[in-house]
Amino acid sequence: MSSSTSSDIVVQARHLGKAYQLYAHRNDWLKQVMFGWAKTYYKPFWVLRDVDLQVKRGESIGILGRNGCGKSTLLQVICGMTLPSHGELRVTGRIAPVLALGSTFDLELSGRQNVMIGGAVLGLKRRDILRKFESIADFAGIGDYMDQPVKHYSMGMRTRLAFSICAHVEAEILVVDEALAVGDAAFQRKCLDWIDSFRQTGTLLFVSHSMAEVRRLCSRAIWIEEGRIREQGDPNEVIRSYHRALLVEKDDVQRFTAHS
Amino acid sequence: MPSVNVVNGKQIIVDDAGPFQRFFRFFGRPFARMWHHRDLLQAILRRELADRFKGSVAGWVWAVVAPLLAIAVYTLAFSGRLQLPEQYMVAKDPNLSYALFILSGIIVFNFWSEMAFRAPMLLHEYAHFIKQTIFPSDMLAVISTARATLYTLISITVLLIFQVCVLRSLPWTLVLLPLIFLPFVAFLIGMSWFLCAIGAFTRDAGYLMINIVPLFMFATPVFYHQSMFGPPWDIVIYANALTGFVEVMRDIMLVGKLPNMAVYGWTLGISVFSFYFGYWFFDRYRNVIVDVL
Repeated sequence: MSSSTSSDIVVQARHLGKAYQLYAHRNDWLKQVMFGWAKTYYKPFWVLRDVDLQVKRGESIGILGRNGCGKSTLLQVICGMTLPSHGELRVTGRIAPVLALGSTFDLELSGRQNVMIGGAVLGLKRRDILRKFESIADFAGIGDYMDQPVKHYSMGMRTRLAFSICAHVEAEILVVDEALAVGDAAFQRKCLDWIDSFRQTGTLLFVSHSMAEVRRLCSRAIWIEEGRIREQGDPNEVIRSYHRALLVEKDDVQRFTAHS
Repeated sequence: MPSVNVVNGKQIIVDDAGPFQRFFRFFGRPFARMWHHRDLLQAILRRELADRFKGSVAGWVWAVVAPLLAIAVYTLAFSGRLQLPEQYMVAKDPNLSYALFILSGIIVFNFWSEMAFRAPMLLHEYAHFIKQTIFPSDMLAVISTARATLYTLISITVLLIFQVCVLRSLPWTLVLLPLIFLPFVAFLIGMSWFLCAIGAFTRDAGYLMINIVPLFMFATPVFYHQSMFGPPWDIVIYANALTGFVEVMRDIMLVGKLPNMAVYGWTLGISVFSFYFGYWFFDRYRNVIVDVL
């Protein structure tokens, strides 16, 4: 351990593991809930195994890995959406999750109403949202569509609005999960610029398949494979060995099968 | 409360509290959480209220028309066919007395049935929030009950206006209404917590309620008075928690007398039990629910 004090560490994970419960029969969960203390009725499917992670304040971390390797689950666990089944986790500071952008929008309501709900879900007070509303609308840049139902929006416009809400939460830890892929180049650049300036003050956890973004934004990269950290360190080195592995190891279709 | 602290799959509270403190924290917690999430409660409640009459032109008028229609139908259907104890014959015209009697019962029943129908599906409705954001899922039962409360208050207002028109007066006991209405709301919130946790695991809960609720319409003294049943059946009819609420509400809103204290105590006890048992149950399974939805 270097000179860092414990207050500098915002995310501390030790032996973190997450198992989803796979049931052989549709109704076995009921037996599990009632008799779980006596017998186990499910097969655990370990999505995360033995992850040790320490994130210091102000770091920006890029997370790499193939589909289904556990990247998103790791972020969900860190955000506190789902509990880990094993290990220790300590997170200090306000988290803004930028996951699955726009999926919580109510399609019938207008952009304005969705900003009110989305902001409240992210923990903003009503008067804060009202105060920041102009700024949110400016950042999204969707003009008069703000008062139209969200169902008339294109995917790109939804992403713009959703990211804009997240950008105004004043979080200490920003968790971004492949969120920016939908916007056009100009908006992506705007978001990346914003994330860049966020990094001056906050901590960033960033999942992306775009190596250029990871190189640009992150001070450290973590490569996850089959729920374990395979390599971490300098982004350029991790990306190099990740690329090499992608070329050598073929797409493994077996990896979504549960091993007991 | 931004930090997450987890050890071995169990959320831990950092400060060490004795059993005594833990006991009081348990009782304060639902209220502490409601206060903490008050802005979120308000934002989602607004959406829910807008949602109810989405695409309807008349909107809120329906909330007023429904009880008026009910009054008309019940007056016609039950004129001269009901045996009521003397005290409920509040109006000169017996048919109007029946209408008031039934409407006051049906308001309580509708409030309950709306929650009973909706609660099992509640977490599914908001699954995208629960799975993809940091969302206090226990607040959903509170929000949906708050919405139903608003509509019930509209119905009660219509009933009272109707009473004023017919009787030219209102009983003084009306000021006691919150003393039974608030426990009823707590009872329903608790029931929703329980049902929505069950409903998250299985759709059976929803199907079960669709079958059970209509039966309760007749198991509850909505169209008759509980005194129709002597011992030993009165125990069965009071075991249905709704009976107590219906009786006390009628005493207070129509007859203008203080409720039987034994009955009132029974309803209070059920409310407190339902509220805290529901919360305990929901809290126990909330982390499993996220992965099951």
